[in-house]
Amino acid sequence: MRYQQKLLGVVASTGLLSIMLLGPFAPAWAADYKQAPILDEQVKAGKLPAVANRLPEKPYVETMVDGVGKYGGTLRTTILANGDQYNLTRTIANELLVRWDPQWKKVMPSLAEEFKASDDATTYTFKLRKGLKWSDGQPFTADDIMFWYEDVFMNNALSPAKNPTFTVAGKPVKVTKIDDLTVEFKFETPYGLFLQQLAYGQGHLPVIYPKHYLKQFHEKYNKEGIPALLKANPAAGDWVALFNSKVSLSFQPPFWQNLELPTLNPWVLTVPYADSERVAATRNPYYWKIDTAGNQLPYIDNVTWAKLDDPQVMALKMTSGEFDFAFRHINNSTFKSVLFDGQKTGNYRIVDVKDLPASDAAILLNLTSTDPVKRKIFQNKDFRIALSHAINRQEIIDLVYVGQGAPAQVAAQPEHELFNERQAKQYTEFDPKRSNEILDKIMPKKDAEGFRLDETGKRFTINFMVADVFGLSYPDIMQMVQQYAKDVGIDIQIRTTDRARLNTMWAANEQDAYIWNCVGGLSDAYTDVRCYMPFQKADIFFAVRWAEWYANHNTGEEPPANIKELMAAYDKVNAAVTDDDRRERTKEFLNLSADNFLNIGISRPMPKYMMVSNNLKNVVNGLPIAGNLWHPAPTLTQWYFDKSTK
Amino acid sequence: MLRYIAKRMVFAIPTLFAVSIVAFIIIQLPPGDYLTTLMADWASQGGAVEAGTVAAMRDRYGLDQPIYFQYYKWIAGILTRGDFGISFDFGKPVTELIWNRLGFSLLLSVLTLCFVWAIAIPIGILSAVRQYSISDYTATFLAFFFLAVPDFLMALSAMYIMSAWFGQSVGGLFSAEYVDVSWSLGKLIDFAQHVWLPVVVIGLGSLAALVRIMRANLLDELSKPYVTTARAKGMSEFELLLRYPVRLALNPLISTIGWILPAVISGEIIVSVVMSLPTTGPLLLRSLLAQDMYLAGSLILLISVLTIIGTLISDILLAITDPRIRLQ
Repeated sequence: MRYQQKLLGVVASTGLLSIMLLGPFAPAWAADYKQAPILDEQVKAGKLPAVANRLPEKPYVETMVDGVGKYGGTLRTTILANGDQYNLTRTIANELLVRWDPQWKKVMPSLAEEFKASDDATTYTFKLRKGLKWSDGQPFTADDIMFWYEDVFMNNALSPAKNPTFTVAGKPVKVTKIDDLTVEFKFETPYGLFLQQLAYGQGHLPVIYPKHYLKQFHEKYNKEGIPALLKANPAAGDWVALFNSKVSLSFQPPFWQNLELPTLNPWVLTVPYADSERVAATRNPYYWKIDTAGNQLPYIDNVTWAKLDDPQVMALKMTSGEFDFAFRHINNSTFKSVLFDGQKTGNYRIVDVKDLPASDAAILLNLTSTDPVKRKIFQNKDFRIALSHAINRQEIIDLVYVGQGAPAQVAAQPEHELFNERQAKQYTEFDPKRSNEILDKIMPKKDAEGFRLDETGKRFTINFMVADVFGLSYPDIMQMVQQYAKDVGIDIQIRTTDRARLNTMWAANEQDAYIWNCVGGLSDAYTDVRCYMPFQKADIFFAVRWAEWYANHNTGEEPPANIKELMAAYDKVNAAVTDDDRRERTKEFLNLSADNFLNIGISRPMPKYMMVSNNLKNVVNGLPIAGNLWHPAPTLTQWYFDKSTK
Repeated sequence: MLRYIAKRMVFAIPTLFAVSIVAFIIIQLPPGDYLTTLMADWASQGGAVEAGTVAAMRDRYGLDQPIYFQYYKWIAGILTRGDFGISFDFGKPVTELIWNRLGFSLLLSVLTLCFVWAIAIPIGILSAVRQYSISDYTATFLAFFFLAVPDFLMALSAMYIMSAWFGQSVGGLFSAEYVDVSWSLGKLIDFAQHVWLPVVVIGLGSLAALVRIMRANLLDELSKPYVTTARAKGMSEFELLLRYPVRLALNPLISTIGWILPAVISGEIIVSVVMSLPTTGPLLLRSLLAQDMYLAGSLILLISVLTIIGTLISDILLAITDPRIRLQ
């Protein structure tokens, strides 16, 4: 009965889905576990243990949309031929200690069947499911997590810098093994957001290092054997390179190159990424999830990715019915009409995906610019307000985004609990008159061409870096912004560049301003606040010196009092323990961020979409996802082919 | 003759060196390095970028060393051990990645060359013999039309037409079921069904030049007295044409191998990306974008070697067919 109680717990915690589930629900006992027919022969031949022995004592029970599915089939999808290994990761690798529920509202048990946070938000205890197994049948226990912690994470050769998910205030976590199935993560200072961080894709680190396989490549365990292994691997110069070529942090290519690496994923690799014209994976017979009728998941036997070099060909092949599923690279407005028209010939349907950041296009002025004159003007909130009123957002959205968007500042989406109407709406009206009035107070003098002069008497010019990224048409948007700014006497010079060059400029704090998209539209507004305050993270650098100071008070520059207040408000979010407290603290923080009005948003994003075959069932419509909340891996195990529908 | 060949080969060596140096420098010219790309990649995946990790990797890959030292390490590896270095992006030795693709590139180039010659020579002859006729104008118009259309556009249109109207699977050189199986008759047929489209697309672009050269050469010959003499002696027009003026007119065409090989290979890069062919083109493009410098440098070097070999072959063929060149 323990199992049944557990199951009800899972059901209750999944909100809406539970209603669908309760109807056909029947308890499944160990003897009733069923497996995919393609595994029957291997079990009969004695090559595989029986399904009940492959599953953990209490398997994870997946909730369904359309109900219990059927086994079989190959999911045909696609991938860019080079540099797209994250596509594999996002499609089949998302097994974590804890996970987000499909609605991205709550952190739920996953590999850990139970987890507990201490009242001061410093200590987290995870109890693993008993009997979990790697894809080669070896047990997954607390020792594997300790191997990651002691021999990978704390090993300075393998991890010269510590992953920020597992550090707080510069201090790395302390992990202790309580027993074979229990581990404790302890931080020196409160870290209330740890469970949320751990539930995102990049929180996988503790569970991707199988000790029994990897210790042969580790100096500590196999000092004598390593020279011989190095000889056999000409690409590796030392044991660190060798180790990194077998498993890699952040799913770099070696991860998708090594067929031997045991995993906890639903499918295991059979054709690696770099070798052929396709990538292929087949079902993991030891996968640890079942459906409500006791069928071991996943339903689909194989996944294949056709490697293509051009998204145009992806779209063409989708419309000619060569794929069952496609998502990345062709789900933007460029391809939408073609893919919409091709639904009949391609036998697929278009399903909404709520990939909703806080802004599709945000203007980021460098508040800590090295130029003292520009810095003073950029730091002036009134100047930012004036520039914001000068922009005709609706016109940009109509012309560049063919109406797909809404005029808004950088803010959480209206459907989300953290939505702040003032933050989203303030200063978005197109009002050049008002803009001119404000600017007349800041920079009253103009030159012969009507451009405003700064305090040194020179024309005030913003050199705007523009990279054409994400298919979001930034060069087109900036052409329009340049014109709007000119109408109120601000000179914007557009400097077209690429992402790599921008990266070096950010690091050196050389840019005046640039345009980018902003994360934090849904629940990532809790953990990823890089657009809401100076915060050290990739891609967003509007006040890099202050962000450095926030990360480490010995670096960067001390920000003014209002920014310090904002940072202190976020510290309170991080110290909150209960969900309610965290939500209220975050609301206060976002409200304060709105007061500071640090960057200028242009357009609020609209949902994206994916293509799925008409034969596929159990596909959730309108699933929320984000850059670090992967898709479709968290729900793909429940997809199945229903051949009866045509 | 042997001295001539030896001389040409000796000249090829400094050219190759120069190419390798220029290629290596150009790859390093853009700001940043492979790790900058890697950081951008991580960032766009919601990953954390830790400066310490990046610095350690830069040290490991030797990216912080001066460029001449990196070049020396690379070229010394090639010359002494045939080791082209490591591809950072794939974490594999470059040699494991490129030979298969280079084979397909070469095969595609040779097939394209054969296709272009098989089409261009008869059309060139026809246009010269029937100068200013409707067939001359039509052939010339079509040749220039295909010259003017960018090859990526032609590739996209051809793929769309084949897929939408004829229901053929396009892109790549094999159907999904033949990708990972070893060679068989079925796979060969499948290959033939796929390969003709890129061959035609790449070939049509270089058709115009060859047609025009053939036509001009032949026109020069047709008005010469020996043609009139042969005609006066009552030789049949067709035999006359093929036996004398066409043979002479082909001579300059042979020298075009030298420049048509690099043209085909560079045209192949764009078409291969668009049509997703398993050739060196897409690999080169990605390695350049990612600044995966040993992979990019090795590919450029090997493609240059092919070009130089092409030039060498055309020099030798010319020397064989034209004694005047041998004597110089």
